[in-house]
Amino acid sequence: MSDSKRGKALMVLGTTSDAGKSVTNMAICRILSNMGYRVCPFKSQNMSLNAKPTSHGHEISMIQELQCIAARVEPSFRVNPILLKPTSDMKSQVVVEGKVFGTYDVGSYYSDFIPNHSFDIVRDNIGALLEQYDFVVMEGAGSPAEINIYEKDIANMRAAEVADADCILVTNVEWGGAFAYLLGTIMLMPESDRSRIKAVIYNNLRGSPESIRSGAEEIQRITGIPVLGIVPHIPNRLPKEDSECFRGVKEIGEGSAVIGVIKVPRISNFTDIDPLYGEDVTVRFVTEPDELNGCDAIVLPGTKNTLSDIQWMRSTRIADRVLELAGKVPILGICGGYQMLGKRLFDPHGMEDPSIKEMDGLGLLDVDTYWDSDEKVTTRNAATFIRTGEKVKGYQIHMAQSNVRGRPLFDIDGEDEGCCDDDNMIYGTYLHGVLEAPTFRKFFLNLIRPGLAKESLESDYSLNVELEVARVSAKIKDSLDMDLFSKLFLEVE
Amino acid sequence: MALMIWGTSSNAGKTIVCSILCRHLHRIGIDVVPFKGSNLSLNSYVTDSGAEIGMGQALQSWACGKEPVAEMNPILIKPEGNGKMQYVIDGRVHTPKPERSDMLVHACDAFDSLSAGHEVVICEGSGSPSEINLMEGDIANIGMVRERSMDVILVGDIERGGMFAAIYGTWLLTPADIRSRLKGFIINRFRGDVSILDSGIRELENRTGMRCLGVMPYVRDIILPEEDSVSIRKRYDGTFEDIRARYNESLDRLTDVAEANLDFAYLESLI
Repeated sequence: MSDSKRGKALMVLGTTSDAGKSVTNMAICRILSNMGYRVCPFKSQNMSLNAKPTSHGHEISMIQELQCIAARVEPSFRVNPILLKPTSDMKSQVVVEGKVFGTYDVGSYYSDFIPNHSFDIVRDNIGALLEQYDFVVMEGAGSPAEINIYEKDIANMRAAEVADADCILVTNVEWGGAFAYLLGTIMLMPESDRSRIKAVIYNNLRGSPESIRSGAEEIQRITGIPVLGIVPHIPNRLPKEDSECFRGVKEIGEGSAVIGVIKVPRISNFTDIDPLYGEDVTVRFVTEPDELNGCDAIVLPGTKNTLSDIQWMRSTRIADRVLELAGKVPILGICGGYQMLGKRLFDPHGMEDPSIKEMDGLGLLDVDTYWDSDEKVTTRNAATFIRTGEKVKGYQIHMAQSNVRGRPLFDIDGEDEGCCDDDNMIYGTYLHGVLEAPTFRKFFLNLIRPGLAKESLESDYSLNVELEVARVSAKIKDSLDMDLFSKLFLEVE
Repeated sequence: MALMIWGTSSNAGKTIVCSILCRHLHRIGIDVVPFKGSNLSLNSYVTDSGAEIGMGQALQSWACGKEPVAEMNPILIKPEGNGKMQYVIDGRVHTPKPERSDMLVHACDAFDSLSAGHEVVICEGSGSPSEINLMEGDIANIGMVRERSMDVILVGDIERGGMFAAIYGTWLLTPADIRSRLKGFIINRFRGDVSILDSGIRELENRTGMRCLGVMPYVRDIILPEEDSVSIRKRYDGTFEDIRARYNESLDRLTDVAEANLDFAYLESLI
């Protein structure tokens, strides 16, 4: 590295959402880490309902946490200093440096937050990371060529400028139009930004690289930007930022039992479901009451808006069907889903929805939930499953507090957490990730049918994630032109 | 007269936009039919005379108030896995694979027969028209526009982002001899306040000379057969439900939304 000891910034951009930026970024973090560099991921602004707290209780996007695993660094708020958590189509809660900053609609976000706050936040955090690491691997958001908000787009070229980053542009060839997306993205940028793009990656190809080679060469001839790689479709079990249930997939897996996951409109932290994919179950994403027919268990996942999602459950009549099945199949509610299972919900200040002050829950657990403080709980916890004395771990992210009269489920440092009904069929907890450790996952699956859960104890989900990070990163590296990579990014200028 | 709808990618909304145009023209009393020269899909429909065509064209035909016929989709290519394709020509399985030049002639014949019998033919492209590695053999997009000189509207899907780049890149990669045929673009599946797009739309219009024909908002709870999914939904209780009535209801709802948001006067002026 240069004498200044200031690190170098690389940036992975995508022609669209879902281009493969996050996984490419993850692989580059791991590749550089394997070469012995100190490397850290970074995404200035992420819009996601999949957040995780760091060990210091700062909320960051789940995907940056995954990239930290790849980079072999402890996650800090700096890796994702701005996190947008949509509460409706028009509004988002804005988390800055891991703590709630405020709620903005699209207009005030661009007229107030972006010009008055965002540039300093990004500059401070990327600057601190560049002091500390050899490489900071930045990730863009969406497309960097949204010309209607170009100068305000702090997630892409403005962040690249602040960090003086060299950029890699990734395009997903799966949907067609990849050449047009690439060329259009490059040509819509002003020259000063375009010159940062040092290489392109064609991602997610099903078929032979030869099938697109001539087109890729033509784009290289027009733009002068070389191809760093043509990466195949790599099936993987990495946690996903945009769950497959958002792409019209109705079911995942083909197992001997069906677990219905209620896909509420504001579903959040749906990585809670991921550990089930390795088990002998079919996970079905339920958006209509009929889809609960034949389900052997029900999971109510987290939501960014519990009250309006209860209304959705009632209007779709999914709530009626859940009540019919209660007592017949095991039900697990996590965070927002747990709140829904309770008796009453009180939101006197209208924090979730200004038009609703209080509401009945499904009434399946003897729990009431209150929104009466701006304090947000963001902690990682080790807990004891009271029934068996076994350990679980998880994390909490919630604004509301629940008052539990029913039987507690977990013990966290002497405090009760969660609730279970008297018939041992209905469970609720604030602990996200509670299914990752095999202990509670086994217990819940064996309620469906004794012996359903896989026996092997090494099925701790976090171990699987590390193995997947290593496997997928190596596979991506195989598809990259590493000589070109070294020449572009590793050689001292 | 005929008008061609291209998409910047698969699933950009071509099928739906064509259906909406068909339903709108049908509503105002024009004798309109749909057409897709070549369709790559596993989701097919069998016409009254036993011809197999793409499901999208069946839907569009219903939008026109007509029963589907083979000419609406003269070439249907069904992936059989392992890179093998089944070719359905004029509604019947054809072996071996026909020559590309024969297929183009075939598509043109079917188009001519529809064009002779009806006032307007709404044509749908296939995938993206700017696959520069495949452009030579293209039938449904550039092939039809070259052979039958028709104007083109681009549909860009904003849901995944990168829509401005996709439209601009598609325009840049359209061969020079037919680029002037690109008259306008429609932005599809937008959620939020349209005014945020204004400056980007103006810039795109200035760069390309194409006109923005409007922004189609995201419409919830639409039940339509997507080309790559099933047309008759399997219910979890094991029964099957014919949902053509629900397609029609969804189509009417979409067309109402489109009539409030798209520049149909300009669209009608193109035909």
